[in-house]
Amino acid sequence: MNGTRISPNGLRMAALLLFIAIYTAYAAGPFVWVAMMSLRTTTEIAADPYALPWPLHFDKFVSAWTDSNYDAYFFNSVGIVLTAVVILTVIGGMAAHCFARYRFRFKGLIYFIIFSTIIFPPQVTVIGLFQIMVDYGLYNSRIGLVLVYVSIQLPITIYILESFFARIPGDLFDAARIDGYSEWEIFWKISLPVALPAISTTVILNTILLWNEFLYAVVLITDDDKRTLPLGVLRFMGDQLEDVGMIATGLMIAIVPVVLIYVFFSERLIQGMTAGAVK
Amino acid sequence: MKKAIILGTVLGAMSLPATAQELTLWSHWADQQAKVEFVESAARAFEEANPGVTIDITWYQKEPLYAALKTALTAGQGPDIFYAETDQTEYMANGLVLDLSDKLNWDAIEPWAQDVWGWEGGVYGFPLEAWTVETYVNQAMLDEMGIDMPVSGAEGQAFVEAVSKIADAGATPMAQGVGDRPYPGAFLTHEILVKKLGADDYESLLRGDGVEWTDPRVRAGLEYAKSIIDAGAFPASFSSIKLGEAHRYFHTQPGAAMLQMGSFYPSRAFAAPDEGGEPDSFELGIVNGPIPPDAACPTCKTIAVGGSFVVNAGSDNTDLAAQFLNSMATPEMGNKWLEANLVQTGIVADPSAIEGENAAYFQKLAAANEGAEYTYGIPVQQMTGTARETFTQVINQAFPAGLIGVDEVIDMMAEAY
Amino acid sequence: MAVPKDMNVPAIKVAKVPPSGERDDHANPRSAIAMFLLPALLVYAAFTALPVARTLYNSTHLVVPNRPPEWVGFTHYIELWTDTIFWKAVWNTLTWAAVAPILEVSVATLLALALYAKVPFSRFLRVAWFTPVLMSYVVVGILWMWIYNYDWGALNTMLRAVGLGDWASPWLGHPDTALPSLIAVTTWMWTGFNMVVILAAMSSLPTEVLEAAELDNCGWFGKLWFVILPLIRPTLLNLVVLSFIGKMKIFDLVWVTTQGNPLWATETVSTYVYKRAFQWSTFDLGYPSTIAVIWFFIVMAGVLGLTLLFRQREKLEY
Repeated sequence: MNGTRISPNGLRMAALLLFIAIYTAYAAGPFVWVAMMSLRTTTEIAADPYALPWPLHFDKFVSAWTDSNYDAYFFNSVGIVLTAVVILTVIGGMAAHCFARYRFRFKGLIYFIIFSTIIFPPQVTVIGLFQIMVDYGLYNSRIGLVLVYVSIQLPITIYILESFFARIPGDLFDAARIDGYSEWEIFWKISLPVALPAISTTVILNTILLWNEFLYAVVLITDDDKRTLPLGVLRFMGDQLEDVGMIATGLMIAIVPVVLIYVFFSERLIQGMTAGAVK
Repeated sequence: MKKAIILGTVLGAMSLPATAQELTLWSHWADQQAKVEFVESAARAFEEANPGVTIDITWYQKEPLYAALKTALTAGQGPDIFYAETDQTEYMANGLVLDLSDKLNWDAIEPWAQDVWGWEGGVYGFPLEAWTVETYVNQAMLDEMGIDMPVSGAEGQAFVEAVSKIADAGATPMAQGVGDRPYPGAFLTHEILVKKLGADDYESLLRGDGVEWTDPRVRAGLEYAKSIIDAGAFPASFSSIKLGEAHRYFHTQPGAAMLQMGSFYPSRAFAAPDEGGEPDSFELGIVNGPIPPDAACPTCKTIAVGGSFVVNAGSDNTDLAAQFLNSMATPEMGNKWLEANLVQTGIVADPSAIEGENAAYFQKLAAANEGAEYTYGIPVQQMTGTARETFTQVINQAFPAGLIGVDEVIDMMAEAY
Repeated sequence: MAVPKDMNVPAIKVAKVPPSGERDDHANPRSAIAMFLLPALLVYAAFTALPVARTLYNSTHLVVPNRPPEWVGFTHYIELWTDTIFWKAVWNTLTWAAVAPILEVSVATLLALALYAKVPFSRFLRVAWFTPVLMSYVVVGILWMWIYNYDWGALNTMLRAVGLGDWASPWLGHPDTALPSLIAVTTWMWTGFNMVVILAAMSSLPTEVLEAAELDNCGWFGKLWFVILPLIRPTLLNLVVLSFIGKMKIFDLVWVTTQGNPLWATETVSTYVYKRAFQWSTFDLGYPSTIAVIWFFIVMAGVLGLTLLFRQREKLEY
């Protein structure tokens, strides 16, 4: 059995439930509000910000999709983020496995150098990065953006995965080696599957951060056809009229894929959790 | 978004020996349909007149545009033509933009444009947009309360009393908000200062090369502004109201007596009411801002040059780019701009030739600007560096919000230079 | 298999105890190491190392277009020392980075415990608590500006509805309340993520240990403090470090809402760097690069400090 019971003290239970209720309202309330607003027009919202949506303006989703080039932005975001996350998981996993399992000279130094670059504010490095992209011929290309995204999330991915890999007991690897597994097979068939919870964590984190990434996307991509979703939402935020209704609609379109990724991977996370307990 | 049609290029390449040329243009105003149409239609007209030429325009919001430009120009990339404003002296200082003094038809362009884009003998920008700082009033509300606001501006104590009267009646005297802009909150203060000091001393004050913030005239001006602020001029949510919201606050809900705004006011206010525009029955008046006691220049006000186009000095098509800009420097284009955008322009145009429903507006605007002496540029366009940042925090936001007093303002501004 | 021996391994231990005791080179094959490490190192060298090196270079040189770079030495570093805006930004950012991880991780632990203890509707609650994590800063910023709006925002409306109208104030407009208001927003955003990770860690704890604790008659609190928390300490450290770093770099949220206003009460190091790099009417990146370099050392010190604070006393047996 996986859970434990809190001792049945009525007062404690009530306090806990109250805490949960308040926190749930705090966490989910704004999202529900935006979901409601995404189905209302801006005038309706201005008249009464908190009313329920009626009539349900589903056509707003259609118009956001077709009129504002949202479909192009959406597919660009999907392609770029998906590719980047896959690459990150594989090469980040490889590097993390290497740091966790092997010893070699300068290991500590290399790890430290990679990890420490998380700290540099992107606002400063973006200009240097831009010049490099131009030199490589990757400016204004989606591939270039993918590679940049991989590079900015690599340190955190390695950090999270390494600490998990390191906790996998060494006996597993000794046994595998005796059984004749090659190093690559050890990584692919042992480390990765066992580390599924951590991998799910990094996949979720990377997807969210890259899906919503804005600064590099705006600087490194100038063709409108290659732009990603965050810039799309910004179009509704012009200063002429803050089109609250359309912003909410645009937001919902941007959120749904991330929710799906989360739901899919959190199932894996749960499986990983239950598998871990029944060792 | 709108991209150029390549047809002309293909035909040109196949049949004529002339090579196809492409001009790239990056601009702000991505969400201002009227301005987008103006530039796009000028581009299409130019393409028709010059077969083989295509103009490719990418539209941005201002801040992402600046970030993209800075990174691109540093790497030696960047479009042939781009949007710039007069405070971006870094372009001239680093030789990144082309001197247009012998490339543009300057007869068709307002003379002050040459001052404002002048730099060490050359002229570097083509100003499309210009706006003055006006005080828009809700005439019906003022009449109802029996307040008389002369077009030339209320003087001294009369204005403070008017503000108190409106506040006591439960209405907001002046709608304003600094939620998303670094300049509207400062309108009240800097218009008072320019009237108090006169244009030359005011500009010297902002540049920090002569008149000090500790000058007694400056103090007197600030105290006058403070008396207006303390009389309850601004709404409580001043710090978070955005520019667009301030417009609605003024003419629709909750409704205010006055709104100090750039003359680009119509671009939002004259839209349909359910798109954020004025209600149909709204009576709009235009007056000048309050005049401090002992003002050196009661008719002084600010004119700001807004969006301009500059040519990238590193471009391969500088002459072609300049030609394109010239194609917009005609009185017809000037009037077209006025009619479509309802805001002044650097192109010489004739407002009296405008007919139709907006003629009355232009007449009021002209009346408010009769005999005006101008200082060019709002403070954030005339200042740079830490001084500008401090001005934004102190005079645009903290001072009108009632968070600090005159002494703190003077101390902080004096230290910032 | 028995209780895994390295459950207590602290998070950053790479530079210290080798993962698997003494081994001969057969177990550290050069080719395998190279194969695993090379792709990451390549990407790193190409896209991260060069810009960082450039930043260091910029901090001591004057680099503008159309002119060769000149050495300016440490003038920027000296100027930074007396820059009041910078120090205000440092203070704000450090406050944020100190308070937020505490809030985010402790609240998340409580929530994870609640789910672990199988309160009703846990599936729904997990999703509900996680949704804030999914939103982009741009939209979170807009959303919370609406909530904090003085006239019709949710917070003031609720306060007025329960008769606490006096407490209604322009939350983002006053220097005293602006920063705490933004801290509440980031806590809202990230607590759900921490909760999910902690829950995963708790669920992968071996049940034998917990049952043993129960047999020993540990109370609810005792079990929490003496058994569960120490076992998930590495996870908690990871989350605190991630949260700390994230707050030290925070930019998007502040930029969308207050841009550092009022009176620099919400100015962070990143927003100041951005202003310096893009709004200062100069192409010279020397000053913002200098800030980046100095800040790097400060954050590194913070991370090392946190790691030491959390470190396990005992070494592990193999």
